[in-house]
Amino acid sequence: MKKEINNITELIPQSVPLRNIDDSPGPCCMSFGFDLNPLIQSIERVGLINPPLLKRDNQGSITIITGYRRIKALKSLHTDSAGCRILSGDNILQVECLLLNLHDNLAIRKLNDVEKGMVLVRLIPWVKTLEIVDHYMPLLGLPSNKATLASYLKIEEEMEVQAKESIAHGQLSFRNAIMLLDIDSISRSSIIDLISNMKLTVNQQRQLIDYTIDLSHVEGRSIPDFLDDQSIKRINSDTRMNNPQKGRALIRYLRMKRYPSVSKAEREFKKMVSRLNLGEMVRIDHSPSFESPYYRLEVLFKDGPSLRGKLENFMREDIDSLRDPWKKKR
Amino acid sequence: MSTKIDKIILDKGVQEYKSTKSILLQLRDIPVRTEKDDGSEEAPCVSDEMKMDMGKNTMHLVSYQGEFLKPCPGTKEYICCGYQILNVGTNCPLDCSYCILQAYFNRPNLRVHVNLEEQLGQVFEAIDSEPDKIFRVGTGEFTDSLALDPITRWSEMILKGFSKRKNAVLELKTKTANTAGLLGSKYRDRIIVSWSLNSPFISRREEHGAASLTRRLECARECQSEGFTIGFHFDPLIQHRDWMDEYRKTVDLMDRYIEPEGIIWMSLGSFRFMPALKPIIRRRHPETSVLDGEFVLGLDGKMRYFKPIRMELYAFLKELLHQWHPDLGLYLCMESNEVWQESMGWRPETSEGLRNYLDERVRNFFG
Repeated sequence: MKKEINNITELIPQSVPLRNIDDSPGPCCMSFGFDLNPLIQSIERVGLINPPLLKRDNQGSITIITGYRRIKALKSLHTDSAGCRILSGDNILQVECLLLNLHDNLAIRKLNDVEKGMVLVRLIPWVKTLEIVDHYMPLLGLPSNKATLASYLKIEEEMEVQAKESIAHGQLSFRNAIMLLDIDSISRSSIIDLISNMKLTVNQQRQLIDYTIDLSHVEGRSIPDFLDDQSIKRINSDTRMNNPQKGRALIRYLRMKRYPSVSKAEREFKKMVSRLNLGEMVRIDHSPSFESPYYRLEVLFKDGPSLRGKLENFMREDIDSLRDPWKKKR
Repeated sequence: MSTKIDKIILDKGVQEYKSTKSILLQLRDIPVRTEKDDGSEEAPCVSDEMKMDMGKNTMHLVSYQGEFLKPCPGTKEYICCGYQILNVGTNCPLDCSYCILQAYFNRPNLRVHVNLEEQLGQVFEAIDSEPDKIFRVGTGEFTDSLALDPITRWSEMILKGFSKRKNAVLELKTKTANTAGLLGSKYRDRIIVSWSLNSPFISRREEHGAASLTRRLECARECQSEGFTIGFHFDPLIQHRDWMDEYRKTVDLMDRYIEPEGIIWMSLGSFRFMPALKPIIRRRHPETSVLDGEFVLGLDGKMRYFKPIRMELYAFLKELLHQWHPDLGLYLCMESNEVWQESMGWRPETSEGLRNYLDERVRNFFG
């Protein structure tokens, strides 16, 4: 590394007119989906504490190494100039700037998943894959494996800004975003719109994506066409339901479409059990998707006599009518 | 099916094996690269292209350091037949959309275990050490048994050893018509050649690179007339439009080509897969219909058809096949007693029960 880079703190900040600084994100920037307001308020209150680090090449043009957000905040406050440290010359390697930015960021905040992808994509041309996996991924708090690296690179390189914003703002989970990589951008966008509108939970997002992709295949329709379904629209625009209720209704509807036989069996089973007068303290459940051959009887009781009473009541019910719901009545 | 190998990779230290020399001679016009010590010849993780083709045109000759003979990985939740896998290589040049190997192995390329011949002694030692146990051994679990046979000459290498043992049989399971090596061999006893079959619809749309159903059955007929015992596997059974009519067509074809008395066994297995396979299938085979059914999480963590659907598939096939011939050695692969009973009309109770049933078939056929 260049001598000055090892001694950044010894560089004396100089006043730099902000209009001279190129404020496009640039090759070192790893900020995405941020809210500038807290920083603006902080600078307004106490001023700029940490000077940004800039690079000035031999032609005099200035790019940001660290402090992209600070410069943006200062510009939005219409500040004319700010004290910045400057590295000069053409012999400063891009990778050195990149690592300065990375460590500057890691020291003060947690990167979101899109930003982690930005870091990894920027490291790829300079650092061997194995070193990225072994050293930089743990630094970013990521599991040290190639599959995870591949996912982050794909999200950064292939996802549209809308999708990345949803990830950065925590509306779309990273794992679910990976599921969206295999579909086209228009389909992706229509699913993300629904996720954002209904504020679906991570689990509901996964189910929505899975069911939608499957059903669009089964029905031979495009995903946007499939999601244009009247029932889905009705759920989405139902003013009597809040978002969690809408989310549950949507998933229930899609699940019934995706698993008609399973849903029918569940309904039948529920009907069968409800015909028995079990009371509140006795339950009969089936295994997930009826895969196990066994059903479960659950009895809440206080003591032996109360258990005996409940079991005697239970035995008086028509329990012989219980059967696998897909089987004909005996 | 023609295997188009366009690259050979040699692992460090494999040049001296007889198999390596024979394969290199067979493929003398194909460029050869040697694996570097750091493993850098392996596909990088980020290569989508490699993930998509899985290195199906690259033959990777390796010296396998694991056990060559291993029990088929069953689970205690379902009844398992107690099969043994002879691990001759991994991955397959065919490209069936439903193939579990797409998610099963994390290394690409057609990996051929060139130290097989040198390790066969140990395999037979293990078999000989348990003379009262019947070893039903197959090579077709981690690859197709015959797809690479014209190049690897696996059949030439292993038939003799199995043929002369009284407590083992070797099953070569395939979807190809590569039977020339077998037919040229003088060994017949205790060798079972079996074909995976499906409906014409699934075979045509989903079994890319495999021989047509008719071709498979022509080969089966030829093997049968040349003295081989044969088997069939309807696995994976897939529910699709008009599936009953379609599977009936396959059984009609079997009737045209095959003498049912010479069939040692036929397995039925419905499509099941690790959840991780689904996105891989979607990515590699976007037009597939194999994922359209109602799959639920099984007790073994794999996705499988909703139970009554499986029962319907099996019961239909069982009835159809039973009408063709009442003694085909039908069995279910990885199913519960409940499903056995409902669809087959009997149940083996335990994995041991199924093992005994199939061992008895072996004794009846081979003594």
